[in-house]
Amino acid sequence: MSSNAPSSSAGGVGSADSAAPRRNSKRPKYSKFTQQELPACKPILTPRWVISAFMLVSIVFIPIGVVSLFASRDVVEIIDRYETECVPENLRDNKVSFIQSDANKTCTRKLRVKKLMKQPIYVYYQLDNFYQNHRRYVKSRSDSQLKDNSSWNDVSSCKPEDMSNGQPIVPCGLIAWSLFNDTYNFSLNNQQLAVNKRGISWKSDRDSKFGNDVFPRNFQNGTLKGGKILDPTVPLSKQEDLIVWMRTAALPTFRKLYGKIERDLQPNETIHVTLENNYNTYSFNGKKKLVLSTTSWLGGKNDFLGIAYLTVGGLCFFLALSFTVVYLLKPRRLGDPSYLSWNRNPGGH
Amino acid sequence: MKRYVYINDDESSHELFCDNRISNRKYTVLNFLPKNLWEQFSRFMNQYFLLIACLQLWSLITPVNPASTWGPLIFIFAVSASKEAWDDYNRHLSDKKANEKLVWVVRQGIRKHIQAQDIHVGNIVWLRENDEVPCDLVLIGTSDPQGLCYVETSALDGEIDLKTRVIPAACMGIDFELLHKIKGVIECPNPDKDIRRFDANLRLFPPFIDNDVCPLTIKNTILQSCYLRNTEWACGVAVHTGNETKLGMSRGIPEPKLTAMDAMIDKLTGAIFVFQIVVVMVLGIAGNVWKDTEARKVSLDLVKSLYAKFIDWDSEMIDYETGIPSHATNTAISEDLGQVEYIMTDKTGTLTENRMIFRRCCISGVFYGNEGGDALKDTKLLNAVAGSSPDVVQFLTVMAICNTVIPIKSKTGAILYKAQSQDEDALVNAAAQLHMVYVNKNANILEIRCNGSVIKYEVLETLEFTSDRKRMLVVVKDCQNGKIVLLSKGADEAILPYAYAGQQTRTFIEAVEQYAQLGLRTLCLAWRELKEDEYQEWSLMFKEASSTLVDREWRIAEVCQRLEHDFEVLGVTAIEDRLQDGVPETIETLRKAGINFWMLTGDKQNTAIQIALSCNFISPEPKGQLLLIDGKTEDEVCRSLERVLLTMRITSSEPKDVAFVVDGWALEIALKHYRKAFTELAILSRTAICCRVTPSQKAQLVELLKSCDYRTLAIGDGGNDVRMIHKLISVLALVEEKGCRLQEQLIIVLESSAFLSQYSFYKSLVICFIQIFFSFISGVSGTSLFNSVSLMAYNVFYTSVPVLVSVLDKDLSEGTVMQHPQILFYCQAGRLLNPSTFAGWFGRSLFHAIVVFVITIHAYAYEKSEMEELSMVALSGCIWLQAFVVALETNSFTILQHLAIWGNLVAFYVINWIISAIPASGMYTIMFRLCRQPSYWITMFLIVAAGMGPVLALKYFRYTYRPSKINTLQQAERMGGPILSLGNIEPQPRSMEKEVSPLSITQPKSRSPVYEPLLSDSPNSSRRSLGSGTPFDFFQSQSRLSSSYSRNCKDN
Repeated sequence: MSSNAPSSSAGGVGSADSAAPRRNSKRPKYSKFTQQELPACKPILTPRWVISAFMLVSIVFIPIGVVSLFASRDVVEIIDRYETECVPENLRDNKVSFIQSDANKTCTRKLRVKKLMKQPIYVYYQLDNFYQNHRRYVKSRSDSQLKDNSSWNDVSSCKPEDMSNGQPIVPCGLIAWSLFNDTYNFSLNNQQLAVNKRGISWKSDRDSKFGNDVFPRNFQNGTLKGGKILDPTVPLSKQEDLIVWMRTAALPTFRKLYGKIERDLQPNETIHVTLENNYNTYSFNGKKKLVLSTTSWLGGKNDFLGIAYLTVGGLCFFLALSFTVVYLLKPRRLGDPSYLSWNRNPGGH
Repeated sequence: MKRYVYINDDESSHELFCDNRISNRKYTVLNFLPKNLWEQFSRFMNQYFLLIACLQLWSLITPVNPASTWGPLIFIFAVSASKEAWDDYNRHLSDKKANEKLVWVVRQGIRKHIQAQDIHVGNIVWLRENDEVPCDLVLIGTSDPQGLCYVETSALDGEIDLKTRVIPAACMGIDFELLHKIKGVIECPNPDKDIRRFDANLRLFPPFIDNDVCPLTIKNTILQSCYLRNTEWACGVAVHTGNETKLGMSRGIPEPKLTAMDAMIDKLTGAIFVFQIVVVMVLGIAGNVWKDTEARKVSLDLVKSLYAKFIDWDSEMIDYETGIPSHATNTAISEDLGQVEYIMTDKTGTLTENRMIFRRCCISGVFYGNEGGDALKDTKLLNAVAGSSPDVVQFLTVMAICNTVIPIKSKTGAILYKAQSQDEDALVNAAAQLHMVYVNKNANILEIRCNGSVIKYEVLETLEFTSDRKRMLVVVKDCQNGKIVLLSKGADEAILPYAYAGQQTRTFIEAVEQYAQLGLRTLCLAWRELKEDEYQEWSLMFKEASSTLVDREWRIAEVCQRLEHDFEVLGVTAIEDRLQDGVPETIETLRKAGINFWMLTGDKQNTAIQIALSCNFISPEPKGQLLLIDGKTEDEVCRSLERVLLTMRITSSEPKDVAFVVDGWALEIALKHYRKAFTELAILSRTAICCRVTPSQKAQLVELLKSCDYRTLAIGDGGNDVRMIHKLISVLALVEEKGCRLQEQLIIVLESSAFLSQYSFYKSLVICFIQIFFSFISGVSGTSLFNSVSLMAYNVFYTSVPVLVSVLDKDLSEGTVMQHPQILFYCQAGRLLNPSTFAGWFGRSLFHAIVVFVITIHAYAYEKSEMEELSMVALSGCIWLQAFVVALETNSFTILQHLAIWGNLVAFYVINWIISAIPASGMYTIMFRLCRQPSYWITMFLIVAAGMGPVLALKYFRYTYRPSKINTLQQAERMGGPILSLGNIEPQPRSMEKEVSPLSITQPKSRSPVYEPLLSDSPNSSRRSLGSGTPFDFFQSQSRLSSSYSRNCKDN
């Protein structure tokens, strides 16, 4: 910033002080603070300063944009939408009754690897149009119950999934009740492709939000089954699918980690996925996708930041350029007192 | 209604009247909570927040924890309640101190030391020198043989000179020892708050003298909270006690004052409330469409209420900052100071120094002092005095004794005069210098030393100067030859019409005119010899009149009128009242700043106009024009008012200073019958001079402007201004603050309060819009994106700390403001939230909300869309943006600004890291997690660049190509070049003599016929310029003086 006048009140009001003796008694103790005379830098928007600021922004932003875009392009992603394909063709008119029936819901999908995918490869499931951020859904959980065995009956906030058959549910609430229960099995060249499901949740959650002495109890015993049934012998801190699910998403389209494949996948390899299509997204027209993705320093595949940086950088460059042109074509002296209307028209306001 | 006070009667009065316990407390322990809450909830904003807070108790519809609303609400209430409580406690303490003070009171005939609160009506109270008077007393004895005592009444009326008080005639000469046993009855009116009137009668019981009723006036009393000075002791009978004293009656509990800012906030809260209802309805319908049956109920609270709550919060915190000791009488009004539109000022003592100097005089047609400007050095006069010219001696005698001055001999032998009025002081001192020395006053006997011989006069009656009668009357008896003489001095119109038939008053009229032209205060002196029987007859009437209880003042005036005829006018005195330092410059500056200036004075019209001219109050021709409103009857005033109004409407578009002059009489009629027209005139006119106005008229004028919703500032020092000032919302102890300091404060306060409220709206709206946008992607269910803690911290801390220092922001240095005072006018126009700046900030907040929201949900999509993380990204985006917004709006960066803006940003991270380190908190580890992600920082920079880029570009464009006046001055100031302004203030010659050369005596007369155009009913004709070298175009249909003069002549 350009600072032309380092001192704030150099000139001016000597007359205020000359009257000092008369009001000695009431005069406040002098300090630069109370007299508002601290040394100050007073930047003003000179063309040079503004143009160089915009120029600087564009110079910084365009390279960052390019780098981000490359990072995003480097990420290899396989997305497979399966919620329709995994319903037998004759039942596609009434998917909801299919998903609620006891029919066999196993389904096989083929995924072709287009580019080399370096390990670790993250397996996500993506739900669309699923409002995990709905107010009543978000609130329907009991953190104290998840954390501590002793407060297992603290289910007051969990309505409508608080009690079942007169007994508190552990873990209670709509979120836990609606736990995603599709399962995926991967095979490559008829060989089982191992998916590591350990360590997919946040360590902090495992350590301090979900107790290792809290076991599922009375879970999914109601008439209306929501989602996955938890193993009552495994403590919640080890139920990583639940922990991941309980981290609610802020957006209606979200991905959650299912597991990690810890080996490279070569181009043109075909992965066979055997999936259990259990989860009911059909009643609200939700989409289900299976996503295999590598990662970069910037995260997953997301062109937004790169494009946004390039756009902002470009616009700044354009602004800097046009300000320069305008400045050169139509220079205007700053602080010309003739712009003061009372100087043009003395006496008239 | 009367009360009968029995002196020294220990029993009877105790039940009738209250004791002397004074209480200024507003609350008691029991009623504090309900009363204080009631007061706080009488504000619309607080009601609104209570409603919101109550709604939030209903958990079904609440998106955030109720604590986020209740916490701050209770906090704010607690802060203001404890402030009130503390103030009240201090009041209680001071009351207690006063109540428990020990005083000497006669009980059962013996003097006892008792607490002040135990004084009862009828008790005799003894005071020593410098004691505070505990209640209203009627004097019955003092240490002074003449029964005089001196009191300081500054606590009552603000006047610091000593006043004399005298014991009633009936008590004169009672022995010191007997005062204990005095018995009698005082018949006095019920307590009122008029500190200038006490119409009562005293009758002493035997054995104390006669059964005659002795009239009492305010001169015989000493009122509560005065101080006894220069008198060894005094004693008096308590007549009013406790809260029923004159002081107690006039002391009201101060109502909480709403400043302009508060009022504005209340209005805006109303607007927000409506806005909320609309949004709720729209979103409620949207929610229904979305098939969620719960949504309608839920969306009621969708729009978070928080976004207006802390506007008030901010401003309240600021007040303590700006209330820098300069004017700390009421901290809340400092923001109003920047918005003053009308300044009403007293003349004497405010614009002028109130140091009167006798300059000129005219004795029997001879002008003295015209050459040198000082009559005391005029050899002509000195010779006349030395030669004992009878006219001059008479004149000087009146000067010396027609007054209420008390001479006091100091130890060195010099004579000091104790005068209540500066004019009298000037006259007596001048007389003394002209060898007519007022030596001593011994009871009713005056001693005057004239050229070595001592002359004694006995004062028979005195009627002091009142602003209604405008003259003073003294009847004295010459002790040498027993002649009774009536002496009078007063305003010309109160004296000259009563001159005896044959006297030529023309020269005196001319003298008065001439002196007034010079800005001098004039007084006419006159006398008349009374015959013995005439006096005796009149004296009886006077006695009777002065002991009436009803309308005493009026009755006395009427009686005196009978004596006041056939005066022999002796001459005219002219007294100069010098202008204060820097007054012309200050007034010029303030007027350029667009502040309307009214001068209210008791002086003569011409004097007032001259003073006004010399202090730049009105501009001389051809720039200025003065319009006169006068008239004696309703019709005349009405016509003149309409004419002036017409002229005013036409000229209001021209760059011309039009001022109007109105005198007290016309003002009275105008205010009574033509209030509407006068109000319009008041609004149109930037300058006005009201002369010959009484204190109550001053108050009426202030009231009038207040009723039109103008911020008015009244400046005054004397007791006669107290009423005017009391009428104001803003009471300022500004008498000493006149001048440059005021303007500085004005512009700073103005800017900061404007920015404050704009910024408060901006920051609240940003959050509000983000919440609204988020509701669209959360099924319109009303989920709060931000957690309650963050929201609270955002409003209370992150966004309010940086603005606190905006108080210290200066956009222009004092020097520049002084050079271009016009800038203040533009500030006034753009003050606070006018619709266009509001739209600007509204647009900015909408834009920033979009930037933050869109970037956040896109950068943190898919696998990163975890709720807590996303909310913190959005919040930090807002914090970053607001830091840059404040930085962009700050004009001067001192260390404080940097600390507040960037330190606050750092503080945001530190605080959130601390919260993130607590396992129990909802956002455990979130902030650490985010800060490790490169994408987080990249997102922040993107938000800042995308949010600030357009704002900066726009601001730059406006700054350079459509600069506001302030911007231009800022640029000029920073570029360091010389700032030229055609409107520069040139130092004005201060002495009046320099401006107005002594006028030939015939000039005023010859001008009169030219003043006729105003009567021609044509507004255009009234603007005809004279161009005859007169200082300015002064229209006067017919001088009141000359009309009364001519009438006088005709009558004879």
